[in-house]
Amino acid sequence: MQLINNLYQYRELLKSNVKKEIRGKYKGSFLGILWSFINPLLQVVVYAIVFPYIMRIKTDNYLIYLIIGIIPWTFFTTVLNQGMITVRMNAGIIKKVYFPREILPISVALSGLINFFISCIIIILFCIFGGVGITWHILFLPLIALLQFFLTLGIIFAFSAINIYIKDCEYIINFFTNMLFYATPILYQTTLFPEKVRWILYLNPLTELIEAYRDIFLYHQVPGFNEIIYLIIIAIIIFLLGLMIFRKLEKGFAEEV
Amino acid sequence: MTKNDNYVIKVENVTKKFKVFYDKANTLKERLVFWKRKNNSEDRVVLENINLNIKKGETVALIGVNGSGKSTLLKLMTKIIYPTKGKIITHGKLTSLLELGAGFHEDFTGRENIYFNASIFGLTHSEIDKRIEDIIKFSELENFIDNPVRTYSSGMYMRLAFSVAINVDAEILLIDEILAVGDQHFQDKCFNKLKELRDSDKTVVIVSHSIDAVKRLCTRGIWINKGHIRMDGDIDVVIDEYLKECK
Repeated sequence: MQLINNLYQYRELLKSNVKKEIRGKYKGSFLGILWSFINPLLQVVVYAIVFPYIMRIKTDNYLIYLIIGIIPWTFFTTVLNQGMITVRMNAGIIKKVYFPREILPISVALSGLINFFISCIIIILFCIFGGVGITWHILFLPLIALLQFFLTLGIIFAFSAINIYIKDCEYIINFFTNMLFYATPILYQTTLFPEKVRWILYLNPLTELIEAYRDIFLYHQVPGFNEIIYLIIIAIIIFLLGLMIFRKLEKGFAEEV
Repeated sequence: MTKNDNYVIKVENVTKKFKVFYDKANTLKERLVFWKRKNNSEDRVVLENINLNIKKGETVALIGVNGSGKSTLLKLMTKIIYPTKGKIITHGKLTSLLELGAGFHEDFTGRENIYFNASIFGLTHSEIDKRIEDIIKFSELENFIDNPVRTYSSGMYMRLAFSVAINVDAEILLIDEILAVGDQHFQDKCFNKLKELRDSDKTVVIVSHSIDAVKRLCTRGIWINKGHIRMDGDIDVVIDEYLKECK
């Protein structure tokens, strides 16, 4: 409750911080903000060449399948990478001025969310011109994106704070995101695994997220009810846990950073 | 604010300790390797058992020699750092001027920085819109306001920062050693503005070494020595005692 109150009072700071996050990242580069769309596309090009031809993976509409995996994944990793260091990056103002510190991770996640919604235009374009088309199922997009938002926000709440006390956190998380990329069905289908071990894949909330995106964009079906419930529960738990850790640690920021 | 007392800042039994590290083990490796070596840090008590009440409308000066804990006390009041023991309660909108221009972005223009800086103090867009003319006029930077801040001289930078902070209309203003801003003309202007704030119902707490200015501006002086309150009372009396000690 106090969080919402604070955010409302400091909404101007939140707004200008989000703007700074979106514009500041590719500042000085020639193509500017376009890079946040070109990057995932280039990644898609690489995988679209490597996997069907070298690894001989056969999936229908593999290009679209890939794009729907890569773009939410990019949303996740950009927010994670920027969020991890956001408290450290803003050491200057943290030491000098009081403001609700939660604003920092929230603006990173929010700028990621906005970027993601814009990137979804790319998915939609591919769906239309790739012959898949779009249906009303796309209405589920805000719900799923919001679930991903809270999940990621919870994670960066926790780690942006912990990272101030244990600087190695950044590198450990980097390694885990690399692993997670392969533990999420972005490049492959879950049916690749025997049914006995497949459930392990589904413990990873990102699996549910990406499958849900594929349901609404590619397969034109309502995302599974159980999967959505699982996501909601996980997102709430991680968000609250992250916020708790952040609250606990934020009092020492000005001294430790 | 509660009805029965009109304190805007209440400091209760506050003790602040800082950990002083001799060789700071910060990476996981160092922590794991040297986990037994616990004695490489030492607690230094900066403030001990401070009790203080500041009433609404008071203009208070915190004085004392370097390292006595004045700035730490001010930081505690702004909630940038938190006390090790005790608690601090403040009522009302609080603005601190610990360092001018905190959060200025070099590549943004003066005007954009006004918005950004004022938003850190918790103002909304429309509130800033209302004040922006006053801020620009006070800073006397009309001709440069749409240039990037990196092209400013240090004096201009300070003037802009001070103008923002002084115009956010906080009920409590905490100032750390920044009375010497800009040239004589601008200093006088700041001084008069602070006087104006003093005569209104704003609460001002100033940390300063410029005894003269403080004497003319404040009504109450608090002398802090080695983390304790040495004396608290009328500004003239406190400063006389303080100067006697210094000699």
